[in-house]
Amino acid sequence: MAESKISPYNLADLKNTTDDALGNYMRSLGFQQDNKTTDIKLAVGYVGCIIAAATFAADYKLGWEATKTWTAVAVFAYMVLNGFYSYWVYFVEKGLVFEGTKSGKHVSIASKTNKHEPTYYLTITTNAPSTDPRKIQAPFPTWFTADGFFVAKPFQQWLASSVGVIGDADAKNAMRDQRDELASPKMPAAEASVPEDIGNGTVESTGVESKGKSGKRSKRK
Amino acid sequence: MFGSLANMQPRQLAAQILQFALVLSTAFMLWKGLSVVTDSGSPIVVVLSGSMEPAFQRGDLLFLWNRRQETQVGEVVVYNVRDKDIPIVHRVIRRFGGGSKPLQLLTKGDNNAADDTELYARGQTFLDRKKDVVGSVAGYVPYVGYVTILLSEYPWLKTAMLVFMALTVVLQRE
Repeated sequence: MAESKISPYNLADLKNTTDDALGNYMRSLGFQQDNKTTDIKLAVGYVGCIIAAATFAADYKLGWEATKTWTAVAVFAYMVLNGFYSYWVYFVEKGLVFEGTKSGKHVSIASKTNKHEPTYYLTITTNAPSTDPRKIQAPFPTWFTADGFFVAKPFQQWLASSVGVIGDADAKNAMRDQRDELASPKMPAAEASVPEDIGNGTVESTGVESKGKSGKRSKRK
Repeated sequence: MFGSLANMQPRQLAAQILQFALVLSTAFMLWKGLSVVTDSGSPIVVVLSGSMEPAFQRGDLLFLWNRRQETQVGEVVVYNVRDKDIPIVHRVIRRFGGGSKPLQLLTKGDNNAADDTELYARGQTFLDRKKDVVGSVAGYVPYVGYVTILLSEYPWLKTAMLVFMALTVVLQRE
């Protein structure tokens, strides 16, 4: 698929491109997408539109007087449906980008951005042991070039290393070997004193800044 | 421009189209809601002629209320000429009946020399409040109606506006 270029300053484009990539990535890992939330939204919305269309047709064919009562009922029904639709989009769907299951593990991912801030915020809910919704974030330039091209690799690495469920499905990008190596390096005997000198044993991260996890890791010896 | 549409998942595309459909539906249902509340088939009308000057000018937007069946002399009403789809805005100058008998009205434009007897259908000499009158004027906004006049005199404007709106809503993902 040809990568299309977007303006790296347009927050909406950044978010939408990333959201689309997230969905594609999850599907490519074999997660079965659960479309219930979207389907309910679409069903309610389109039923409302059908009611409006029917009212329009009735009014066009039969005129105002004959259709007065039906119109009153239809308007009320439409307002109820529209209210439910708005509630659903605002409170239930709330930024949902992907919801799916793989090998019994259910994951739900919602994204968010703040105005004028080039950071991608994700809220991840899984049925894995820690059931609190997990929040992670990363700046968009992590996976966008300065010209506005999306680069999949750093994006996938960030996701796979930050989210357990994704990392389980994509071992290559999770780079768990590197993570574990950085956390508790298997050092030759001669340099064994170096970690002691640093004090509480905090391992400094080198190289790529996006590996947030290793940067914060501290190991008590 | 359409590249973004081609890359979309089918449900996303359905959601984008739904957004546009909802804009149209909500606008239409709000209009119908207003009809239901005012009990009038056409609760907002545009003045097309100068027959009510200086009270109403061509291009004024009028708001109608149809729940007061006891129309008085001096009220401005909008009525449809029987069998024709032409709404006319004129003032009531005489009333007959009312109470238990059906109310009948005679109207005349302020700026006209003669009353409306010539405008009514063949054989009709007065208006039936229930059947012919769309509503009485409850308020107005000047000049705003010119948009409607333009849209009806240049019908291609309607299509152009609709196409423009459709493109804007379907392609926008903010």
